[in-house]
Amino acid sequence: MLEVIKPGLETSIQDWPGRYGFLNVGFPWSGPMDAWSFRLANCLVGNAPGAAALECQFIGPTLKFHRPTVIALTGAEMQGTIDGVPLPLWESIAVNAGATLEMRFAKTGARGYLAIAGGIQNEAFFGSRATFHKGGLGGMEGHAIKAGQTIPVGVGASKAGRKVRLSARPPLVTDKRWQVEVVAGPNDDWIDAAGHARFLAMDWKLSSKSDRGGFRLEGPEWTFTHRAHHKLPEHGSDPANIVDHGYPVGAINLAGQTPIILVNDGPSGGGFINPYTVPQCAFWKLGQSKPGETYRFHVISVVEAQARARALTALCTESSIE
Amino acid sequence: MFYDEPRFLPGGDRFMVIEFGDELNLELNFRGQGLAQLIGENKLKGIIETAPFFASILIHYDPETIAFDDLQVEMTRLIASVTTLDDVELNSRLIYFPAVYLDPWSSEAIDQYIEKINPNKERDPAFIAKLNHLTDEAQFVRVHSGTEYWVAALGFWPGTPFMMPLDPRCRLFAPKYNPPRTFTYKGTIGMGGGATAIYPVDGPGGYQIFARTPVPIWDMKQRLQPFKAAPYLLRPTDRMKFIHCSLEEFAAIERQCEEGTYEMNVVGYQKISLKRYREWVATLDHTARF
Repeated sequence: MLEVIKPGLETSIQDWPGRYGFLNVGFPWSGPMDAWSFRLANCLVGNAPGAAALECQFIGPTLKFHRPTVIALTGAEMQGTIDGVPLPLWESIAVNAGATLEMRFAKTGARGYLAIAGGIQNEAFFGSRATFHKGGLGGMEGHAIKAGQTIPVGVGASKAGRKVRLSARPPLVTDKRWQVEVVAGPNDDWIDAAGHARFLAMDWKLSSKSDRGGFRLEGPEWTFTHRAHHKLPEHGSDPANIVDHGYPVGAINLAGQTPIILVNDGPSGGGFINPYTVPQCAFWKLGQSKPGETYRFHVISVVEAQARARALTALCTESSIE
Repeated sequence: MFYDEPRFLPGGDRFMVIEFGDELNLELNFRGQGLAQLIGENKLKGIIETAPFFASILIHYDPETIAFDDLQVEMTRLIASVTTLDDVELNSRLIYFPAVYLDPWSSEAIDQYIEKINPNKERDPAFIAKLNHLTDEAQFVRVHSGTEYWVAALGFWPGTPFMMPLDPRCRLFAPKYNPPRTFTYKGTIGMGGGATAIYPVDGPGGYQIFARTPVPIWDMKQRLQPFKAAPYLLRPTDRMKFIHCSLEEFAAIERQCEEGTYEMNVVGYQKISLKRYREWVATLDHTARF
């Protein structure tokens, strides 16, 4: 049992990979944005890598434990303390009954993860405990956690002092500049050569109007191929309009001239083109970047992106714990 | 247009998009729905979920089980196994939705947009009427409500229908808002491109708006009988018909929906046959309007 004293900024219960299987009715997957840090937090406390845990965004929560357990903090450095004593990241920690965990703002990174031995045991909705806060489903009463709530937690066997080896931790950048992998497509043939060159050569700034549904980017103009300007009226009149189609998770969706990376709580379909898609191996970088920071994109192949996802999953296991 | 061969496009490391064409056409949607059904029946390894849209289908696959190229081979084989759609008949519920056209709530949202975002925005109903060479708003209302709508896909937001008019005499086109509107009432009916949709919750939006229904399509409280299984009402292959209602009826129905006493008009015995539909469409003058 975990009591919420202060909720933090839209702190939510997530599980990995989230709510699979309902894209055809418009449910996003939800799940942790940085699944690398998330899975390792669970490994540290002896949970399955995908067990339900908390995602803390920018400002972390204050929580009170009502029985002794083992926890782990990973991802962003959110200055966690237990009864005032600073806590290390990437290490399992024993907490006593009655202890208070306080997290503050993210000093490095953007999203911190808190896993608890036994995992969070909120009621699953359509097969997942993950929260889709804007949609009002999953999590606690459909939303991010609130002060006064009691979060149900399971019982797990784990011990303190287990650490993630340094080489298995995500390398958070300190200069606010991220190199992000993209795969071309599905609609790369709507953008002309100059448009592609600009996309890959310029810095894109993460807008403050970004959340778990979409990451808005600020950058140069887009230019289009012939087909974007000469098409049937049902596509819509803007060059970036296309007959409404399904959106891949991670799609860089071009809303007019504004690219929006559709992330975990994003829409499953709509009427704009997706010239590029961010593969899962780069999602942790999105999850750990703050508004105002910049992205530079570089293209990798589908096969390369899949190999990197495989390597990442291999890291998110007991083999990375020492 | 219909593509000669389906196009297989990658979406990152775990999605494939298959495009069958690029227009609003029942046959193109049947292909996507049909493929989704076949994938389900064949229980193909490595396919986690599918989402058919108007003229395409999104496939979420597990690259650890099937590679993109192998998936393309499998999909090509499945698509080729359907030699004709003529014999396909899909169960199709017909759901009647009371609606106030030219309603005060859409009007309020448009006013707000003109005042705060774009002073040059033409009011949506008159704008769509003009673009589609209709005489006035009244004819636009007649044309828009003169057809059954085909639920081609659900998406964007949980349970939101993407619909196309089944009667070619009621086809209308409209650009989307640029920039988008910051507010739209729940239940507002709008269109963008050639598609019609209902807003499931209050929120921002990009479609031209002109009507509102008091009947929910999304209800986490699951108050009305058709919501008992899930918080969303609609399924792909449903049809929807808008029935004019007054502001007084709107208020009464809205109250009944809140109380859980509204009897939703869902007709459940019909099938739709692509062959019969094609034959009927061929008898019509497509330039005619109501």
